[in-house]
Amino acid sequence: MDMREGPERIFDSVATVAEAVDARAAGAAVLAGGTWIMRDPRRGVALPERIVALSKIAELQRVDVLDDRVSIGAAVTHAGLAQAINGLAGLEGLAAAATGAANPAIRRVATVGGNLCTLDFAAADLVPALLALDAQVELMVADGGRILPISTFLAERAVLLKTALLTRVIVPRAATASAHVRLPLRKAGDYPVAIVSVARASGGAIRVAVGSVEPVARRWTALEDELSGKAVTPEETQALAEKTNDFMGRDGIEAEGWYRREVLPALVRRAFAALQKGGAA
Amino acid sequence: MTVTFQLNGDRCRFHDDPMTPLLDVLRQEKFLTGAKAVCREGFCGACTVHVDGEPVMSCLKPVGLVSGCSVTTIEGLSSGDQTLHPLQAAFEAADVVQCGMCFPGMVMSLSAFVRDNPEATRPEIKTAMSGNICRCTGYERIIDAVADHLEAQKSGRQAKETAHV
Ligand SMILES: Cc1cc2nc3c(=O)[nH]c(=O)nc-3n(C[C@H](O)[C@H](O)[C@H](O)COP(=O)(O)OP(=O)(O)OC[C@H]3O[C@@H](n4cnc5c(N)ncnc54)[C@H](O)[C@@H]3O)c2cc1C
Ligand code: FES
Ligand code: FES
Repeated sequence: MDMREGPERIFDSVATVAEAVDARAAGAAVLAGGTWIMRDPRRGVALPERIVALSKIAELQRVDVLDDRVSIGAAVTHAGLAQAINGLAGLEGLAAAATGAANPAIRRVATVGGNLCTLDFAAADLVPALLALDAQVELMVADGGRILPISTFLAERAVLLKTALLTRVIVPRAATASAHVRLPLRKAGDYPVAIVSVARASGGAIRVAVGSVEPVARRWTALEDELSGKAVTPEETQALAEKTNDFMGRDGIEAEGWYRREVLPALVRRAFAALQKGGAA
Repeated sequence: MTVTFQLNGDRCRFHDDPMTPLLDVLRQEKFLTGAKAVCREGFCGACTVHVDGEPVMSCLKPVGLVSGCSVTTIEGLSSGDQTLHPLQAAFEAADVVQCGMCFPGMVMSLSAFVRDNPEATRPEIKTAMSGNICRCTGYERIIDAVADHLEAQKSGRQAKETAHV
């Protein structure tokens, strides 16, 4: 049976990063877990004609836990990440993001790189968790590698990902506790309406990031400034979140923009309550 | 492109588009219709199969990615007049199946879960089922049957241990 018309698709399952970078330079799109790309036809988007698969590149499947940082290969799955960082102090929020997203079968397949590189996906759970932890990403192109802050990556990824391969995410172990709170409307597999990730650094500084409310996740710097140097209760952070709520909610199938924005202060309270208890949520 | 993999213990070759969902290869080429095509979005779990022993959604798995892997479908878990997988037997004994649409996927998800989590609690069983939607909403009975099955396995193990002493 002919499943598809036209010329044969080029599908390279390469063994090294160098080969994947070469394939990219030749115009191949990256296939990681496929949980996003495989739904492209349902969105009216044709599958890429030329594909490079990452599943056989051993170095992209590794998580290295060092004293001062954790290095996460781009093809590590959500389930693999959750397992590798389970119980690491300070990374509770990232672990909660990796275990709370999607459903078990998707988490076994969907990768960290796929979560960060899907341009039109506002509800990615790992993105705000990594913003709160001040992570960096490593990109590879034909003439070499480059490490950049995740916020810069998010701002420029539409251009960068035309040629680059995301190879690693580097998470500094500077936080003493972190938490990730998400609001799906139902429990089974829905995208979260809004996400709040928070992390406290050893000096006490707080970082807050919000996902799924605007088209791309971002830090909540207005709230971070208000919190700076203050010891506040979760209820007080909720009040400060109401005062500094500068988000413009996006309309989407799960919820309208105003709702995504309105739920943020309550999620902030929950996130800080979790942080007080030492993280997670 | 030709993709070669193990399917229910036999060598299997597929020659066509490597981005074809594994689900379509199973149903349309191999006539293994146990895995169901329901949402095709990774949401309902009706298409769950094992790839190298781990339950995944076959609707979102490009067949090119299973090259060299071992795929097991519900037909491979137990077929025809063979004895049922103990979890299937537990479902049958407790009469939990209603229309049956979700069950091949439910069994593939939960058979791996009980293998890996012999001490699972009810909330853990529920979490494990969060990617398997049952439109007949027979959830509580399924959870009861899984819990009973784990309990039976445990007493089986204990009986064996005592017998060895
Ligand atoms: C039922 C369901 C529920 C879901 N729920 C959630 C949820 O609650 N939270 C959440 O965050 N996500 C959720 N998702 C989305 C899922 O997490 C993402 O689809 C996933 O992270 C994508 O990873 P992947 O490896 O499957 O990516 P793929 O589909 O393989 O790729 C996605 C995109 O990223 C690009 N890409 C992938 N890796 C790289 C790389 N290393 N370098 C450059 N480009 C790359 C690809 O070219 C493609 O454009 C859900 C998905 C499903 C099906
Ligand atoms: S058909 Fe694959 S998850 Fe629903
Ligand atoms: S028994 Fe009918 S869908 Fe589950």
